[in-house]
Amino acid sequence: MTTKRIIACLDVKDGKVVKGVRFIDLKLKGDPAELASRYEEEGADEIVFLDISATIEGKEILLEKVKDTASVLSIPLSVGGGIRSLDDISKLLSNGADKVSLNSVAVENPQLVTLASKEFGSQAIIVAIDAKKVEKGWRVFIRSGTADTGLEAVGWAKRVQNLGAGEILLTSIDRDGTRNGYDIELTKAVVGATKIPVIASGGAGKPEHFLSVFSDAKADAALAAGIFHDNVISIRELKRYLKGKGLEVRT
Amino acid sequence: MKALVLNYGVGNLFSISSALRRTGFEVEIATEPKEVDLIVLPGVGSFSAVASFISRWKRELNDFRRRGVKFLGVCLGMQIMFEEGSEGGRSQGLGWFSGYVDLIKGAEKLPHVGWDVVEESKPCILTEQLDKKYVYFVHSYVAYTDFQAAMISRYGLEFPALICNDQIAGTQFHPEKSGNSGSIFFKNLVRWIKV
Repeated sequence: MTTKRIIACLDVKDGKVVKGVRFIDLKLKGDPAELASRYEEEGADEIVFLDISATIEGKEILLEKVKDTASVLSIPLSVGGGIRSLDDISKLLSNGADKVSLNSVAVENPQLVTLASKEFGSQAIIVAIDAKKVEKGWRVFIRSGTADTGLEAVGWAKRVQNLGAGEILLTSIDRDGTRNGYDIELTKAVVGATKIPVIASGGAGKPEHFLSVFSDAKADAALAAGIFHDNVISIRELKRYLKGKGLEVRT
Repeated sequence: MKALVLNYGVGNLFSISSALRRTGFEVEIATEPKEVDLIVLPGVGSFSAVASFISRWKRELNDFRRRGVKFLGVCLGMQIMFEEGSEGGRSQGLGWFSGYVDLIKGAEKLPHVGWDVVEESKPCILTEQLDKKYVYFVHSYVAYTDFQAAMISRYGLEFPALICNDQIAGTQFHPEKSGNSGSIFFKNLVRWIKV
């Protein structure tokens, strides 16, 4: 059995790690390379960089930071945020990213998902879906949660699988930063509708939340940021807890 | 020790190069093979794309092999050492190991992404201290062989995770992404090269 993965996420702005609540109110949390290697040491299975820089300078700093981090890291590194083209992807992959995560661009230019997975292999292409609960089901939002696409999240998840995505990074906008737990229903619906690995994100606050998203929603991986940055839970203790509950995790 | 990482033109060569450097190799990334201590075939792209690259250098690669250069193939780089593969249309590999490369049969989800245990089935220097350790996999294809692999893993079926002889080694997992198990592998690799 492939182990359930714990992924530490770093939201990076102009080369520094920040973290907000419900995508706003950002606070500074430190240097990405330092935090990434601390998380590897603690037992993280992967690291995700989400670049939220709004400036060109910020993007260039990111490439440097990806390189710095990749050279100290010996676990997989994924990078997302603001990717627009095959050239952006190629630059990130040649600077040490193992996978890239496409979000807004996947909605606006779905063909890029197909082209990228043909060129770099589907294993290198994650499609990130930011979903918000609506009356019936979930709606896909892009541009850091500010733009409603009108797309239904589960249907979109199936579509990105068919386009060639190798993994789905599924974030609940409603839960992001709240520490009230993952959106189990949303995750379950997407896992049930797809055949590629699903990474659950948004809302982790305590070990029970991870257990639930793995056991109840059958997520393949769970991502968290704030609780690791703030030492609410250490990854080592979290994995010990999950193992004690009978889940297979890498320790 | 000098290692050359062969650049097929796409993907992440940075991690494998960093891992080799951390182990003490002097690393060069190049688009054509040359005589060094270790030629690394990295794990990026699709079988058919790499096959067309490899076919251009088949003679040189076989010459180096005869002259005692050692080879490490990672993931797709290992798969290309078999006779043929089906990814992206049927194409020929190097034929250094008998067998063919095809989609993982019986898997619930593809690609197979994540950490799984490897088991020693035919011990050699490269397998030392790796039995039952977790390593990182990202792949949809595996090699179907008629010989016993040095290490196996399971995902839907049992598949070769590490193959080796005195001169050629291949891993289906990514040692450069496998944390501590990866460092153990690279230390073993140095000893294997020196034998």
